[in-house]
Amino acid sequence: MVIEKRWKTWVFFYIPLAVFVVGTLFPFYWMLITAIRPDAELYRSWRAATNTPFWTLQPTLEHFRDLMAKTTFPRWLWNTFFIAVASTLISLFCGLLAGYALARLRFPMAGTLGTSIFVTYLVPPTLLFIPLADIIRNFQLGNTPWALILTYPTFLIPFCTWLLMGYFKTIPKELEECARIDGATRFGAMTRIIFPIAVPGILSAGIFAFTLSWNEFIYALVFLSSPERKTVPVGVVSELIRGDIYFWGQLMAGALLGSIPVALVYSFFVEYYVTGLTGSVKG
Amino acid sequence: MKRRIFLRTAGVAGILAAGRAPAFAQGTRLNILRWVDFIPACDVELKRQAPEASKALGAEVVFEFINANDLQPRITAAIQSRSGPDIIHMLHNWPHLYENGLVEVNDLAEWQAKDQGGFYAQSEAYVRVGGRFMALPHSIVPGLIAYRKSWLTEVGATTFPKTYGQTLGHTFGDAPAWAYPLLWNFGGMETDKNGKTALDGKGALEAVKFMTAFWKDACDEGGLAWDDTNNNRAFLGGEISATLNGASIYIAAKRGQDKIKDEKGEPMVRDIQHARLPAGPAGSWSYHTAFSHGVMKYGKNPKLAKDFLKWFHGKEQFSRWFEVAEGFSVGATKQWERHPLWTTIDEPMKGFRTAPDNSRVIGYAGPPSAKATEVYSKYVIVDMFAKGAQGTKAEDAVKWAAGELYKIYG
Amino acid sequence: MKKTIAGGAGSAAGFEVALPHPRTSQPAPALTRFLENEGLLAAVLLAPTVLLLSLFIAYPFVMGVWLSLSSTSVGNPGEFVGLRNFVKAWNDSIFRTAFGNTFFYTFWATVFKLVLGMWLALLLNRHFRGKRLVRASMLLPFIVPTVLSTFAWRWMFDPTFSVLNWLLYQGGLITTKLPFLSDGTYGLWCAIVVNTWRGMPFFAITLLAGLQTISPDLHEAASLDGANGWHRFWHVTWPLLKPVTLVVVVFSVIQTFSDFQLIYVLTGGGPANATHLLATYAYQIGVATGLLGEGAAISLFMLPVLFVVVWVQLRYLRRLEGA
Repeated sequence: MVIEKRWKTWVFFYIPLAVFVVGTLFPFYWMLITAIRPDAELYRSWRAATNTPFWTLQPTLEHFRDLMAKTTFPRWLWNTFFIAVASTLISLFCGLLAGYALARLRFPMAGTLGTSIFVTYLVPPTLLFIPLADIIRNFQLGNTPWALILTYPTFLIPFCTWLLMGYFKTIPKELEECARIDGATRFGAMTRIIFPIAVPGILSAGIFAFTLSWNEFIYALVFLSSPERKTVPVGVVSELIRGDIYFWGQLMAGALLGSIPVALVYSFFVEYYVTGLTGSVKG
Repeated sequence: MKRRIFLRTAGVAGILAAGRAPAFAQGTRLNILRWVDFIPACDVELKRQAPEASKALGAEVVFEFINANDLQPRITAAIQSRSGPDIIHMLHNWPHLYENGLVEVNDLAEWQAKDQGGFYAQSEAYVRVGGRFMALPHSIVPGLIAYRKSWLTEVGATTFPKTYGQTLGHTFGDAPAWAYPLLWNFGGMETDKNGKTALDGKGALEAVKFMTAFWKDACDEGGLAWDDTNNNRAFLGGEISATLNGASIYIAAKRGQDKIKDEKGEPMVRDIQHARLPAGPAGSWSYHTAFSHGVMKYGKNPKLAKDFLKWFHGKEQFSRWFEVAEGFSVGATKQWERHPLWTTIDEPMKGFRTAPDNSRVIGYAGPPSAKATEVYSKYVIVDMFAKGAQGTKAEDAVKWAAGELYKIYG
Repeated sequence: MKKTIAGGAGSAAGFEVALPHPRTSQPAPALTRFLENEGLLAAVLLAPTVLLLSLFIAYPFVMGVWLSLSSTSVGNPGEFVGLRNFVKAWNDSIFRTAFGNTFFYTFWATVFKLVLGMWLALLLNRHFRGKRLVRASMLLPFIVPTVLSTFAWRWMFDPTFSVLNWLLYQGGLITTKLPFLSDGTYGLWCAIVVNTWRGMPFFAITLLAGLQTISPDLHEAASLDGANGWHRFWHVTWPLLKPVTLVVVVFSVIQTFSDFQLIYVLTGGGPANATHLLATYAYQIGVATGLLGEGAAISLFMLPVLFVVVWVQLRYLRRLEGA
């Protein structure tokens, strides 16, 4: 490794990193503080002498308790998770195959098809939900998780396809050719040689797809109606925003609880990049 | 189908009298989409009523509550794809907007008006499209100025306190409820009686000038970014002393007496009073949020939906809900002014009793048509005042707004 | 375009059944020979994608285009009006503001996300204590549902209670509150900040994945040749990262250009329509006003613009690969 002077490490590494960490995490700290702040403090004047915006002396779990007791939050969490995982898997499957075909195989109209897949991603989703509602009704998918599991891939697949295409292109063609000379079939070379190398790309596409599904709001709002079928964003927004009074404590508790489980899963994947990679790239 | 015949012969009253639920056809459901009420107890009451309604109607009655801001995408998708809830809660003049997706309910409206002392003008104008009732008026949420008595006496009762907070952001509630009446109080109007643009008169100019001076003088400049919640919190946090709002500030202060205190540590609720908007040269008008229920045309059971509304808007059921609302929502009809609730209610809430009697509708002096909605949802009137408050010359602000109106109304 | 999709789906429909197995079971010789044909293999591989997209996008898209050319409003089928909706939008001052805002917002948010994301990726690519924790926590903004995190931000920008104002005030940097969301220009910058905060981690993590594929040997060789940090980045890292970067940028541009949730929650387009983006304005016209035709026209304005932006980027990407 390259050795650096100590002050250089601080200026070019630790300080910038610290700034990134603080900047990124401050809003979370803010959510947390809000979620454990008792209501009495939330409504206290900010000019009051006792005001302590950055911490609280009487932390409370009441907002978390209310969230669990008065709404079907755990249910929303599960719905969101299920829908996100299913639509991500579908999209990864499609994107992986399509990405490989577009990156590696020669066939008529490859360019046109690639562009067409891409163009579908350009279609503005804001108004797409109205005609899409028609399709959902025709397939009788309204108010079922499938309404979302099948529509989310429409914006996930193009991304997965193109991202994976990018990855496949960075993998030297020789790798496949060697395998083919050794007697592997085209399909075998693809699944056994190329796909394993593309794992970081697949994970990255997966994370992206998962997050987009986790986040999605307008389709989930329009296509689902039963309270127990809702996803986290829609459930929290529709049950915790009461016209002109927000339940800030619960809202923030919901935001935190809605992200921590995913964060844990991600932290595993992020490491997987690092450890799983070094070996596979060497060749 | 059996159920329908049964209903026709026996009627809801018959079932109620029998006091026993009929075995209802499997899978007959009535879905009702409503906003999430500002007063959480109101939704609890509706959830309590649902099984009663199911029993009375012989169909499973299911309420769904969503944030008011999200109602419109749901309605739009429902009408366009011809599937969705059977009954949808409508705000403002939405029945005009969604006319083609709604079932006419003249018979119900006639019944309700007769049964409950006649509709308020605003409620009727909003659901009545060219002589036909396209939705059934349910309630009105009046907006009055909530103010702190102690702060007002400090400054002297004749002037507004220096700490007025007004929402001028893009909100569905408080901002228009301020902007429209201000225009009317100075004699301004969007359109003439025939629905042609008439904003470029003296009234609008005076109103904007007043607003600009008032804003500089007394208002929290953050109001330009406020939504319907900001003023509540600013008020309850003691940052402002007066703001135009529904009764939710008072009710929140009352329910949270032990948490929401004033500067002296007393419960703030004791210091809150309500008043109408100050009158202008052309009178005193207000704009309240009117609510109605629309029966959706695509629904498979319009008859059942209507029966439900008759049950739901009937005196007995409505009064239970009305009592829970504690004056936050008032009836769409005048009978509810005489409800015993008003004699026992807290003094500061009494102003809400007759609040809807001086309200006008958007689009005034023309009809509250879909075009008025376009003006409303482009926030032309709100932004006219916002521009003034931000320093645009009053003449230019009015000219801009009138230009936008010409494009819409012609 | 439509023709291609239909053709792809048609020719491939029959082979779909073969897809779930091939990994585990040894393919039959006939199938193997069949899959050795590049064109046929491609058809098989593309079938699921084409099928799903044509089912769920083709019709809504055609419908959307039709809406934009018609006078449709909610519940009213309307009739063909040609380009009238587009002309009306173009002559609308709010539309023009939204149009300009969209470019401004997309440009700056993308620049920030790219620069900061790259920087963060380079930092995270090093070995340090707590690396695991830091890498995971950097992803947090990307994970929280946008709607909810934007609510948190809105509260931090709150006109009356902004903690940022409080901080700046206590720090002696300001004497009056900054009008974070109550001024159009501030409001747009606030939205850019939130968008950057949210989108940067994905840039960082994707670029980090790209960095991981670069063999450390290259860097060692370069530093033996006396290259400093910047040179190593510019001559070794950057050329190898370009393809991945471009793809991420292209997608980010599309996402940012058609961003909706963030503005919808943060400002709702206010104050005085100063922070509308095309997507939020299209929504306001289409949904709040019920003028579906005009709303569709406004959102379709995005399409050609995006197309040009993306086309330029893709051209560049292809040239890069060709070289």
